[in-house]
Amino acid sequence: MKKTQTMKNLTLLLLLLLLLTCHLSPVLSWKKDEFRNCNQTPFCKRARARNPGSTSLTAQDAAISDGELTAKLVLKRIEQQETTPDQIKPLLLTLSAYQDGILRLRIDELDPPRKRFEVPDVVLPEFEGKKLWLQRLSTETIDGDAAPSSVVFLSDGYEAVLRHDPFEVYVREKRGNRVISVNSNGLFDFEQLREKGEGEDWEERFRGHTDKRPYGPQSISFDVSFYGADHVYGIPERASSFALKPTRGPGVEESEPYRLFNLDVFEYIHDSPFGLYGSIPFMISHGKARGTSGFFWLNAAEMQIDVLGNGWDAEAGIALPSSQSRIDTFWMSEAGIVDAFFFVGPGPKDVARQYASVTGTPAMPQLFAVAYHQCRWNYRDEEDVEQVDSKFDEHDIPYDVLWLDIEHTDGKRYFTWDRMLFPHPEEMQRKLAAKGRHMVTIVDPHIKRDDSYFLHREATEKGYYVKDANGNDYDGWCWPGSSSYLDMLRPEVRSWWATKFSTENYVGSTPSLYIWNDMNEPSVFNGPEVTMPRDAVHRGDAEHREVHNAYGYYFHMATADGLVQRGDGKDRPFVLSRAVFAGSQRHGAIWTGDNTAEWDHLRVSVPMILTLGLTGISFSGADVGGFFGNPEPELLVRWYQLGAYYPFFRGHAHHDTKRREPWLFGEKNTQRMREAIHTRYMLLPYFYTLFREANTSGVPVARPLWMEFPSEEATFTNDEALMIGSSLLVQGIYTEHAKHTSVYLPGKESWYDVKTGAAYKGGKTHKLDVNEEGIPAFQRAGTIIPRKDRFRRSSTQMVNDPYTLVIALNSSQAAEGELYVDDGKSFEFQQGSYIHRRFVFADGKLTSLNLAPGQTQFSSECVIERIILQGLSTGQKSALIEPANQKAEIEQGPLLLHSRQGPTVLTIRKPNVRIADDWVIKIF
Amino acid sequence: MKHKMSFIATVLCVLCLLSQSILRSAANQFLGIAPEDEKYYKSSEVIKCKDGSKKFSRAQLNDDFCDCSDGTDEPGTSACPGGKFYCRNVGHAPLQLFSSRVNDGICDCCDGSDEYDGKVSCPNTCWEAGKVARDKLKKKIATYQEGVAIRKQEVEQAKVAMAKDEAELSKLQSDQKTLKRLVEQLRERKEQIEKAEERERLQKEKEEQEKKEAEEKAKQENSGGEDQEKTKAEEEAKKEKSEDVEDGSAEDKPIESQHDDNVGNLDDSHSYQDTAEKHDDLGTKDGSIDTPEHIGSLVDGVQQEAVKQKKESVATSEPDFDGGSKVPHDEGDDASENTESLSKEELGRLVASRWTGEDTTKESGEVDVTKDSDHEDHEELPKETHDEQSDGYASETDDDNQKYDDEDHEDEADDDFGVEDHSDSGSSYKYESDTDSDLSDVTTLSNPSWLEKIQNTVRNILHVVNIFQTPVNQSEAASVRKEYDESSAKLSKIESRISSLTQKLKHDFGPDKEFYSFYGRCFESKQNKYVYKVCPYKQASQEEGHSTTRLGSWDKFEDSYKVMIFANGDKCWNGPDRSLKVRLRCGLKNEVADVDEPSRCEYVALLSTPAICLEEKLQELQHKLDLMNKEQPHAHDEL
Repeated sequence: MKKTQTMKNLTLLLLLLLLLTCHLSPVLSWKKDEFRNCNQTPFCKRARARNPGSTSLTAQDAAISDGELTAKLVLKRIEQQETTPDQIKPLLLTLSAYQDGILRLRIDELDPPRKRFEVPDVVLPEFEGKKLWLQRLSTETIDGDAAPSSVVFLSDGYEAVLRHDPFEVYVREKRGNRVISVNSNGLFDFEQLREKGEGEDWEERFRGHTDKRPYGPQSISFDVSFYGADHVYGIPERASSFALKPTRGPGVEESEPYRLFNLDVFEYIHDSPFGLYGSIPFMISHGKARGTSGFFWLNAAEMQIDVLGNGWDAEAGIALPSSQSRIDTFWMSEAGIVDAFFFVGPGPKDVARQYASVTGTPAMPQLFAVAYHQCRWNYRDEEDVEQVDSKFDEHDIPYDVLWLDIEHTDGKRYFTWDRMLFPHPEEMQRKLAAKGRHMVTIVDPHIKRDDSYFLHREATEKGYYVKDANGNDYDGWCWPGSSSYLDMLRPEVRSWWATKFSTENYVGSTPSLYIWNDMNEPSVFNGPEVTMPRDAVHRGDAEHREVHNAYGYYFHMATADGLVQRGDGKDRPFVLSRAVFAGSQRHGAIWTGDNTAEWDHLRVSVPMILTLGLTGISFSGADVGGFFGNPEPELLVRWYQLGAYYPFFRGHAHHDTKRREPWLFGEKNTQRMREAIHTRYMLLPYFYTLFREANTSGVPVARPLWMEFPSEEATFTNDEALMIGSSLLVQGIYTEHAKHTSVYLPGKESWYDVKTGAAYKGGKTHKLDVNEEGIPAFQRAGTIIPRKDRFRRSSTQMVNDPYTLVIALNSSQAAEGELYVDDGKSFEFQQGSYIHRRFVFADGKLTSLNLAPGQTQFSSECVIERIILQGLSTGQKSALIEPANQKAEIEQGPLLLHSRQGPTVLTIRKPNVRIADDWVIKIF
Repeated sequence: MKHKMSFIATVLCVLCLLSQSILRSAANQFLGIAPEDEKYYKSSEVIKCKDGSKKFSRAQLNDDFCDCSDGTDEPGTSACPGGKFYCRNVGHAPLQLFSSRVNDGICDCCDGSDEYDGKVSCPNTCWEAGKVARDKLKKKIATYQEGVAIRKQEVEQAKVAMAKDEAELSKLQSDQKTLKRLVEQLRERKEQIEKAEERERLQKEKEEQEKKEAEEKAKQENSGGEDQEKTKAEEEAKKEKSEDVEDGSAEDKPIESQHDDNVGNLDDSHSYQDTAEKHDDLGTKDGSIDTPEHIGSLVDGVQQEAVKQKKESVATSEPDFDGGSKVPHDEGDDASENTESLSKEELGRLVASRWTGEDTTKESGEVDVTKDSDHEDHEELPKETHDEQSDGYASETDDDNQKYDDEDHEDEADDDFGVEDHSDSGSSYKYESDTDSDLSDVTTLSNPSWLEKIQNTVRNILHVVNIFQTPVNQSEAASVRKEYDESSAKLSKIESRISSLTQKLKHDFGPDKEFYSFYGRCFESKQNKYVYKVCPYKQASQEEGHSTTRLGSWDKFEDSYKVMIFANGDKCWNGPDRSLKVRLRCGLKNEVADVDEPSRCEYVALLSTPAICLEEKLQELQHKLDLMNKEQPHAHDEL
């Protein structure tokens, strides 16, 4: 009897387990097996198996030619037992120096049987103009080498060294410490193109897909060392910690290398070295001792990067200069050439600027794009759109952009409308535009293979599709079913594509419509690893394997160009893309793809955004609320509170989820989300100023703490908090029912809680009480933040509203801040049509200084209606405005207008000085 | 001509500006203040913020600088985020705006008073807009007036009908008592007769037995022992078989044999089929089998099976369970394990389905081939519901501005209202409920003369039948039996009627029993290929051809009888259980319109009904209209 019971229990248990796994499967449904790991990727496996010191190349014939240092890399003849045929021919190495401490290293085959792919249209054309014409090289014998090394000038403080034997390239401080080096561990390998040998099989198979690999092995790998480095960062995109953890070395668990291969990863997990939708092969090192440096390898093929933990090479017996702390990394790529850039820093912002001088600064967005976006898969019909729009108004919640996902189209044929659901798209857009709002529709790169679809017909006729290995138009599967993919690598395809966005060609569009590029990795549902086969063929016989990571970049570029053309070059484009490559910042915004409504995904959004920012992509954000799943109201509220500080702020949801517009969770939660969104609108002048800063300098809007406090070690691994510009520090709340949190506030100066006005000492960790009303955010003492405190329906109506300046004085009773204003839409700012002020508070005087050069055509009647003074040590009573010689009262006023029981602060009442003017306000 | 036109335009413009500046200077200080509030501002030079936080001087009123966090000091500007702007909208209804609308370049008030900074010019459209609104309101009032009357009638009728129900119930209850007594008496009598008959029979048997015993003393057979041996052998064989299937697992063996002992005499070949049938039942009955309850019952089923089964081992029953409970998502998972065997198209569909949740097996053929043909039905079902779902999501719906509202929008003047707006093919009918099918029968039953008849008959029978008579009079006994059978059948009918009436009367029919007439009725609405059926107090469903999806069972009224909730409908793939919220509006007929699915598997519908045409609401509307009429300017032709 008892045994029967046991049996019963067993059955029950079994069934329960079954149920449980059924239940859990959505949570753990990252399909790991569908993607190749390093061991399943032959080039990666080969490279990773090599030992340090195995490079058998030496540099010879070093000489200056055309202002560059060139040399040949040839195989050492000595003691090489087996010379494989692919290592016979010499390689050509070129070193060139550019302004601002940038060294470029190129290594390619001298005379390859087939041209290896070089990524076009990523390096700015004007970058070539910054090349320094090297005059001479000096030689120097290093560490008792047999052969002397060649040394060339890089910048005032730095020089580049080509060590001949063993072959090594590095940048060092003049006659001093090394900064970055390549091949110091002797891992360099370059698989040269060659004839297929007798009986050789070059094909690769993975899960039923065959890659023909007609050109055989052609991978490149080498080690890069960063000196004086405590941590390395960068190489997005993945959901993992901000400071990159070692992937190999003693004490490191068996780990995959960091993978750079653009993939559409269904339900990605929040802590994995696995690559996601974008790839930027740019790594930044930072250390207390030396500062910051960067290394960028322009290569669009699959890349795998190991961060090597201390002592990884213990057995190799190679002695590198060890006086400096050093981080070794190992870079492997399936194809392409070596085209690498060394950035010397030494500050974090220097590296950002240096990188931006190669790949460009972020485009200046329109003001509306910096505001709040409302998206869902899908707002189903015109009525739904109208409904959601009016609900925002009813609840006095501002928003600027309403988005339509794939279901708005006629059968996923982009540039068309489902006329049942959207019979009057122009009218719908005009209605939104009448409230100053915009619309975004989705346009993906897969084109439905349907002969009645004009795009498909034209693309087929013109031969604009990517070809498969057999030379036919590649036929893959995506939303519309059978689809082909435009060869965006070809400039003529991009120009053709760009014309499709004119209001005449895009029927049903109006000038207030902007674009969203999704699935541009490209995502191919029935392709290997959910993408295009590597042996597909692009223009000039480039293989997809060589182009892959940049495919989405070209698509993004062509779409943005289309919108520029549509507006006659007078309207800044807005295009959101999921796929990313180096330089994507020039084309528009990026979001972190299909995340999940989980606390861990909220948390990981911060390192993801910080990493993107560090690698040039300033305009980024995560889907607020989480794409998959239904967030608890608390999580949703927290996400809005943090998302309000994302550079790109959009709520989005999967179509299986419950509706989650901000008013659907009870008045209390509506109020919290409204306040979060209002906070963003209030800070729009500050954000817009930061976007301009990014646009001119490459310094991102959202920054790691150490970008502002480079010598504070406590900030190096902090990826829970972020700096918005140099003045605001924000930290999310990442746990349920949190009552307390710890926030580290760096620096020597104090920080002012933006809601309570309370001051906190810098340089220490504070344990803070938290409630559901907000997340910790602080203004750094010594800064001035411009705000617009009046609420409107959208940013469009805020244009004429007056400003508030929030001044937080530092210990020497001083503060500084900037304000940038332009028309918010056009490119006229590029001709100097803008207002750019610096506000300086010192010696009891607030001065507005002009930062705009020369005469500006842009003006504004906007005034400053309120100046808030925090940290003023003496009780001044009134203010005198010069040159008008007017008096203004100083009184106690609210820190935030909308908070009922908020704190009061010293306020200069109605100074009403114009932001366009020079003025001084004296306080006494 | 052109000159003339531009001249007129200029004049108009100047006039426009003039009027605006006049408006500004004259009314500026008290702009945005409701008339009933003016006293508050005019009474003194120092004014308190309404939230008590602060005081401000008269000069600070509407000086475009926010002093009170609640916006008291800036009713006429956008300076305070918390402020409200009042526009009089003479000729139309007054309006309170968020201060964020003041001078934002968008005309919100029909009198244009919210835009006075000269950046845009808002024409006064109150007269026209007001007329439209008044007409609309009038129509609405007319609907209400008629609706209120109908409602009154219905309330009366409901009271009568309910009283009738209650009367019937109490009558039935007393009949039940009487009948119970009669049945009891008949039963006693019947038993007495049977006892007498038994005695007779025993007597007879005894006599015959004695005769037989004498004749067949020598002949005897032993069949019982053989039987026993046979069973034993059978059991051995079965044991071996089950061990084979179980791979001779050491732990399972003793359990299994114990099993045998317990269930040895059950029919083996039957048990498996039983369970299979059970699965089928579950499937067909509920349309979907992945709800927790279903899985629960499946667990039971399998468990029972495990107990019962002998030839079928757990191993065979498992895939069976699997097949039955599989949801599309799982199929995806399973299939992903061997995607290599898929065609390119199948793979594409499969991967797409991860995002869309669409079923891939339908078009791409058998991605997930079921081994057991018995379970085809199970596979079908989730598919079907799933298809409906995705189609339903994309389905077209009629215009209704207030589709997703959680609040009651009847209060809004501009609410698109009235029965005539909804031209859906709505209809209603009474459903044939199981309990009500007895109705005719019971009506006859409740006829008092009928009961008397029974009573008389019974009395007669009881009187006539002599139970001590031997042998028992066969005709008398038969009539007792017949009467007993008939009466107890009638009793059970009465009892079931009582229980159904009690059930019915337990329901919440609203404060005035205005929803009484909804009981036992269904309202239908056809939208595209779907027919939506809303049966208050019962359930709601979506039908397409022969497939029915349950949107929910009756749960309750919500929001003071303005919303009906149907909950716990069929499970949605990757979503919540289906549910339906029916919003009620005053209308002259009971009609369902605008069924929609604003959020996955959460449906909303609109039901117009006189049942909520309330007198108070009518008065409110009338008052509103009076106000609007009063506010009409005498001379409309100002400019």
